[in-house]
Amino acid sequence: MTRLACLFVPMFPLAARLRSEPDLLNEAVVIVDGDGSGAHVVAATRRARTKSVKPGMSLAQARSIIPKLIARARDTECERTAQEALVEVAETFSPRVEDAGEGLVFLDVSGLERHFPSEEDLGKAALRAADDVGLPARCGLAASKLAARVAAELPKSPTVVAAGTEAEFLAPLPLARLTPELDAATTLQRWGLTSIGDLAQLPESEVASRLGSIGRELHYAARGIDPRPLIPRPLPQEFREGMELEWPLVALDPFLFIASAALDRLSKRMEIQGFACRRLELTMNLEPDGFHARAIDLPAPTRDVKTMLALLRLDLEKTPPGAPVTGFSLVAHPDRPRRAQLSLFGPAALSPEKLATTIAKLVSMLGEDRVGMPMTVDSHLPDRYTLGAFEPPPPPELRRTPRRSGGLLAVRVFRPPVPVEVITRPSRPDEPGDVQIESLSGEISGEVRHCAGPWKVSDEWWSATPASHAYWDVELASGSYRVYRDEGEEGWFVGGVYG
Amino acid sequence: MKVSASARALGTQFSLLDLRPAPLRPVLVPDPQPVESPVREDVRRLRESLQGTAAAKLMNATELLRALDKERRDESIPTTLAPFDELLGGGLPRGKMVELTGRFGAGRFSVVLSALAAATSMGEAAVLIDLGDHLDPRNAQENGVDLQRVLWIRPKTLKQAVMAAEMITATGFQLVVLDAGRYPVRGRRVPDAAWVRLARSAEAHGTAMLISTPYPATGTASEAVVSADRSKMLWLGRGKSPRLLTGATTQLRLEKHRHRKPGAVTTLKVLLNP
Repeated sequence: MTRLACLFVPMFPLAARLRSEPDLLNEAVVIVDGDGSGAHVVAATRRARTKSVKPGMSLAQARSIIPKLIARARDTECERTAQEALVEVAETFSPRVEDAGEGLVFLDVSGLERHFPSEEDLGKAALRAADDVGLPARCGLAASKLAARVAAELPKSPTVVAAGTEAEFLAPLPLARLTPELDAATTLQRWGLTSIGDLAQLPESEVASRLGSIGRELHYAARGIDPRPLIPRPLPQEFREGMELEWPLVALDPFLFIASAALDRLSKRMEIQGFACRRLELTMNLEPDGFHARAIDLPAPTRDVKTMLALLRLDLEKTPPGAPVTGFSLVAHPDRPRRAQLSLFGPAALSPEKLATTIAKLVSMLGEDRVGMPMTVDSHLPDRYTLGAFEPPPPPELRRTPRRSGGLLAVRVFRPPVPVEVITRPSRPDEPGDVQIESLSGEISGEVRHCAGPWKVSDEWWSATPASHAYWDVELASGSYRVYRDEGEEGWFVGGVYG
Repeated sequence: MKVSASARALGTQFSLLDLRPAPLRPVLVPDPQPVESPVREDVRRLRESLQGTAAAKLMNATELLRALDKERRDESIPTTLAPFDELLGGGLPRGKMVELTGRFGAGRFSVVLSALAAATSMGEAAVLIDLGDHLDPRNAQENGVDLQRVLWIRPKTLKQAVMAAEMITATGFQLVVLDAGRYPVRGRRVPDAAWVRLARSAEAHGTAMLISTPYPATGTASEAVVSADRSKMLWLGRGKSPRLLTGATTQLRLEKHRHRKPGAVTTLKVLLNP
């Protein structure tokens, strides 16, 4: 059985405004809509209401009652952030949340009975959470959206409507509770109907024939039937945090101090949703005008603030914005963190999230091209390589015995290759005689004891920079080397050492 | 009893041959052995390997995890190079740091790649911290290294290498190899305390750690120190005939070990194309 909770903030425009300006809480304040003589009150604080200031009055009428009345216009930005905060509160309880707008949020609370002793406790916890973000909300719990919303609008909060008792719960309530936004209630009152139960007792077809489809829906609602499903809001495409600075910043450390707090907030928000950051975008507003934007792709999704901050610091040190910063916004593109099934009897598996964080830290310390999985490339030349993302396959379920390699002679390659001179002292014109190799540093020098070769390798002959090498295995007193002659550059190089 | 059971089983054949089987007598046939999955076999082996008192106490999953962890920590990761493994008593011990010293070309890199090949063939993820940027992925693959399970880190200084090793050890990798490259090592030296910290980190996470350096660097932090020296290349061909490099031999010496007598010397033979 689906159970839904409704969080409702009465007088939402006022609540949103007081959330931004808490000093006005105990003052006589009204929120007005419209300009000039058309301005009318949409919500008033308790202090104003006690003096008979009511929604619907014009501002002039309200001011005639309370001359020192504080009037504030509706602020869409305040209402948007308050609504976002309410939705985020709901998301701390359930991932399935419908944003119904104007201080109204529905959430699916099915399955939460293990976390709370009763639905009433769940409702109280939701109210406390809403109060923590500065929103005085009410809560109703029922099996349908309609019953939950009506329950949330009641003064007693939280109100729990047991499953299957929606019709009994609604019956004694006035008709205005059913459709506060429609005038149908007035029509029904003219018919002599006062409560929702009265409407429910009428024949459905008769109501539908007189009021049309609205009448049919009202009749369904009066019987506690609400076929509308919960429509969960789509997962956010991005998480955004930022602020306007009171004075411009020119140094990096103060900026990172503020950015760290914003990253911390981002991380917490993503954690609530079970996300990790895949890509971080930073936009800085510059003085006197203009902006500077950059994006940092993380090597793996992570929520580690230190890692993200280190990457941000490195990026800013590399390319500073070039002007004082007056504001910034950080946008985190979310992704699901990697998950893995750990094995009990097999080799110890790596925690994907820990691995992602470590790789991100290593990348921030060493650079992107210095951490990854080694990969071979399709080339005839030895020691060619490329780097890939390190995503190891899952370990086997059971431990394996190691494969016996038998011992292979490894090559330690030199990057870049060491340029050397090859000096020959021919004893006869047809023989090279003694051969000596000398590097500029003197590290690789000496008489050639033995050598084998050449093995000619030519690659990328079709490109503008073809490679044509002739390789020798050469033994000197200091070790055995892989020496080659670059026929393009006409020079000798040591490409690696055996062992 | 065995004969009676066989006769009963082969009764049809006897009748075809017109041979009268001996009268059957009731025998006690033991129940068939339960078909055990490999996992159950592992549990049985684990119980057997544990001491009697510990095995008797093994009652739940948490204890099993602890026992498995303990068993895992007591193991070694063999490099499959028999002379090297014998010196260390079975391979690279988990939770310990082993140092391999020797000049470049003394066979250190062959040991490094063999350790990586052995660990990855067991299904373990391994790390190579390659200070000198010496890895040739193709050569490593020919040595049997499963490149998909290797994280290759190329720091620029020894300090960065040690920091990376400490970071990566905490992630849970079972084999971490730090190859300091050839002399002179980039970044020269790090304080002894850094090696001690790294050894403690390896111990805390049960990581087998191999430090390959051109000169002794880890001091007292390592469990064992093996030196590689006097490498000799093996050539095919004599006199004025063309030569072919086939392999190398290296002398390994156990310079220090906390639980074994040092001074043991052995010869390691590695081939170019075995």
